[in-house]
Amino acid sequence: MKKNMYTRITIVLFIIGLMIAVQYNTIKQPAERDTRDIWAIREELAEEKQRHSTLLAEIRSLNEVVGRYEQSEKANLQSALYQTLNRLKLQAGLTEVTGPGVVLRVEPAPELVEMGYEIKEISPDLLTQLLNALFKNNAASVSIDGNRVIQTTAIRDINGKTTVNSVPLSAPPFEIYVGTSSFKEAQKMYNSLQASTFIDSFYLDNFNLIIEEPAEHLTIPAFDQPLTNDYLTEVKKGE
Amino acid sequence: MWLPFLGLIFGLALGLLTNIQIPSIYENYLSIAVLAALDTLFGGIRAQLQQVYDDKVFVSGFFFNIILAAGLAFLGVYLGIDLYLAAIFAFGVRLFQNIAIIRRILLTKIDEKRHKRNKNSIE
Repeated sequence: MKKNMYTRITIVLFIIGLMIAVQYNTIKQPAERDTRDIWAIREELAEEKQRHSTLLAEIRSLNEVVGRYEQSEKANLQSALYQTLNRLKLQAGLTEVTGPGVVLRVEPAPELVEMGYEIKEISPDLLTQLLNALFKNNAASVSIDGNRVIQTTAIRDINGKTTVNSVPLSAPPFEIYVGTSSFKEAQKMYNSLQASTFIDSFYLDNFNLIIEEPAEHLTIPAFDQPLTNDYLTEVKKGE
Repeated sequence: MWLPFLGLIFGLALGLLTNIQIPSIYENYLSIAVLAALDTLFGGIRAQLQQVYDDKVFVSGFFFNIILAAGLAFLGVYLGIDLYLAAIFAFGVRLFQNIAIIRRILLTKIDEKRHKRNKNSIE
């Protein structure tokens, strides 16, 4: 009789334990509480909205391409293909670009040179930081000391030399060309660079960063090395 | 004696390790069910101490209380009355009463034991 009682109490306690555990699991479900205020959520929404509009623009341009293909299916498919090819080349940075932009000049600070300071190589980290800031400000194309920056460009230190696309940078002064989509964008870029801390950061490395006034016509050279796309594979039709 | 605790620990472990979750709309029902279960459990312990424990009453009370509490909450949702508060109140009060009774019984038992020991030592 007594044994029977214990078994039943054990079963009941087992059920209670299970229920408590499930309740506990359910309550702690959102492990991190969402503590953002309306403003933060709005900002995130704005970001997503921006992405949405970018995607829509992309869809529209692709639709245009489709339309062009369909129109010229019989007439001149070749020219449509060439147009697409040129557009892709432009996107990849394989063509020379002429347009509005800003020129940044990096030169050793003259007063420091006179005092006999040793001017070292510009650090790759600083250049990467600058590039990030440029692309954040909607730079369309950038070239550093004549080397076009593309998607696969590496800026790194090779045997003590700072290289872009594996080409060592020439000793300062050298120029960084920044192309933008419009003159207005170039002005915005100029202003935001002026307001940024880059001038100070460069001076810490004994360089002067001179930001020139936005120019209407700036020619940014093409990427002149073979593109390596070892890891790209062809997408099968219909995927 | 330790078998019931083993059951409790096993249940807790199973629930925590499998990470079962229920939809948050049923959270209320589960919390009431837990309360009802605890109430029945302490009621059972009290009954055992008062020597009026009955297996049938205990087991049927356990399931019936849980179902009743959840049903009351369910009804409350549809009637727009927070009936689950009634269940929480009833079970809460009974829980405290049962625990108070258990405490008193245990205290008297401890007192009696001490008396006996004192008597024995005097003799």
